[in-house]
Amino acid sequence: MAQTSYCPTTVQNFGREAGRSRAKALAAAALRVLFVLAVTAMVLVPFYISFLYSIKSHSDISLTRLAWPSAPTFENYLRVIRENKYVGIGFQNSLITTVPTVLILLVTTSMASFVLARNSGKFYKIMYALFISGILVPFQCIMLSLYVNIYSAGLASSNLGFILARSGFQVSISVLTVTGFVKSVPRDMEEAAAIDGCGKFRTFWSIVFPLMTPVNMTQIVLNTLFVWNDYSVAVVLLRSDESRTLPLAQIVYFGENMTELNLAFAFFMLAMIPILILYLSTQKYIVSGIMSGAVKG
Amino acid sequence: MTIQPPARLDRKPTLSRYALREHGANILFMLPAFLLFAYVVLIPFLQSIPVSFTDKKAIFASSWNFVGMDNYLKLLKSASFQDSFMHTAQFTAVYIVGANVLGLSLALMLWKTGRFNNIVRTLLFMPFTVSLVASTKVWSYVYTDILTPLTGSPSPLGISSQVIYGLALIAIWRDMGYCMLIYIAALQSVPLEYYEAARVEGANAWHELRHITVPMIVPAFTANVTLLLSWGLRCFDYSQMVINMKTAKTTAVFVYEYIFGNARAGVGQAGAIMLTLVLVLLTNIVTTILRKREVEM
Repeated sequence: MAQTSYCPTTVQNFGREAGRSRAKALAAAALRVLFVLAVTAMVLVPFYISFLYSIKSHSDISLTRLAWPSAPTFENYLRVIRENKYVGIGFQNSLITTVPTVLILLVTTSMASFVLARNSGKFYKIMYALFISGILVPFQCIMLSLYVNIYSAGLASSNLGFILARSGFQVSISVLTVTGFVKSVPRDMEEAAAIDGCGKFRTFWSIVFPLMTPVNMTQIVLNTLFVWNDYSVAVVLLRSDESRTLPLAQIVYFGENMTELNLAFAFFMLAMIPILILYLSTQKYIVSGIMSGAVKG
Repeated sequence: MTIQPPARLDRKPTLSRYALREHGANILFMLPAFLLFAYVVLIPFLQSIPVSFTDKKAIFASSWNFVGMDNYLKLLKSASFQDSFMHTAQFTAVYIVGANVLGLSLALMLWKTGRFNNIVRTLLFMPFTVSLVASTKVWSYVYTDILTPLTGSPSPLGISSQVIYGLALIAIWRDMGYCMLIYIAALQSVPLEYYEAARVEGANAWHELRHITVPMIVPAFTANVTLLLSWGLRCFDYSQMVINMKTAKTTAVFVYEYIFGNARAGVGQAGAIMLTLVLVLLTNIVTTILRKREVEM
């Protein structure tokens, strides 16, 4: 700013143009806020509809769709849980597959990424390239052999099989993001620890891992999203009714309850709510994590 | 003039005990992630290549014949495979352009840190937390219950010539927040002095956008395009939700149906390999073109 005051033309024009340019800037800012609010409102419409339909009674929803219900009710949520046992089973399966998958990925990929970020030898470059190449393999390309292997191991339609497959498939993208982050973590502290005679294992867990908290949080939330919402892996591996996760249960439920929209939407909301709570309570990490990881990686 | 190498260099370099231990620890650190990756991605990928050259029918068929390139040639001539590929390409093109244009526009308006901007960013990213399955089901009602009364045109998901664009719009809704965050990260990394210097030199807003902002965010553009390319080409979930629409069938769905539905695993696997090749090829082309335009900081 100090430099501009040396520039005579700016000083001369400043008084004359100030009023006009301030009005222009104000109008531009208002227009920007208006546009942003309009887009945000449009983006939120599907959420609003889901909520609205889920709190309408059957007679309400068959009468009018978009009108606010005459008697909002949470009865639908209870009915969904009570009347269809696969809702509960779906919740249970999604929970006991998502949590271990996310933890396995957290431990394994942070350790691997630490080594890959700190070593530049040929061997490590090849390993990194190998890990990363997995990003370019669509699930459809490996599903046949993977299904046969998992079936022969007796793990088809089991939670364990799904956990293994989902974490293995997620390794590549996690290694990419975490390695990018570790490269930006200064080495000083781990070098000091090494000089003090701290072993690699202890150095990692007591010094490096805590420093990785931001990227670890991002990984936890993103991997939870990917596993909780997964359909393409689940539909191949989970072929029994008892092994269905939420997305599979939703589709079946939706197909059977086309006439009772309010119930189907209550089910959608039930599956969405835990994830939304997780996202909104950790959004600080997820937003900054995606922003820092993506461009560097 | 030839210089004799010192005799010592002829000896194979042996690793010191320290280096050996270091190396061993590194390998142990990478092992868990690598085993997962190998079991789920690497080994199945290597197993599936030979399958694409056989006439293997059912997944668990015990006998099959080697047929060379037959599957590939058959698929290249097959109208339904070509169609599925066209649908995938249409979906991916609209999806990449839409999500990037909207993501960048929003990023340009929301990149500065502030309470309003932070809240809006959080809301705009929210669709990314919804499963693709639920997104499609909810949107089918957004189309019929809101779009149709407003515009008078029927839901695109019910019109065979529009269904793929209807799905692409859902994908744009879901992922533009992700693109936006990556663009915001890039915009925040542009040093403010560049703009100040440009203003001193008499640059207007257009000049700034054209000569500072755009060149500086090319890495974000590369990240977004390659990511969405890989998500778009493997589009499966959206398409599966409108399975009765033939014009919505993507290559991933085609492959799934051949392997698990039609009991023609060899042909399906050949289609999957071709999809992977297209993804690898396009990713390389995009990266090469865009990397050239990246400016060094």
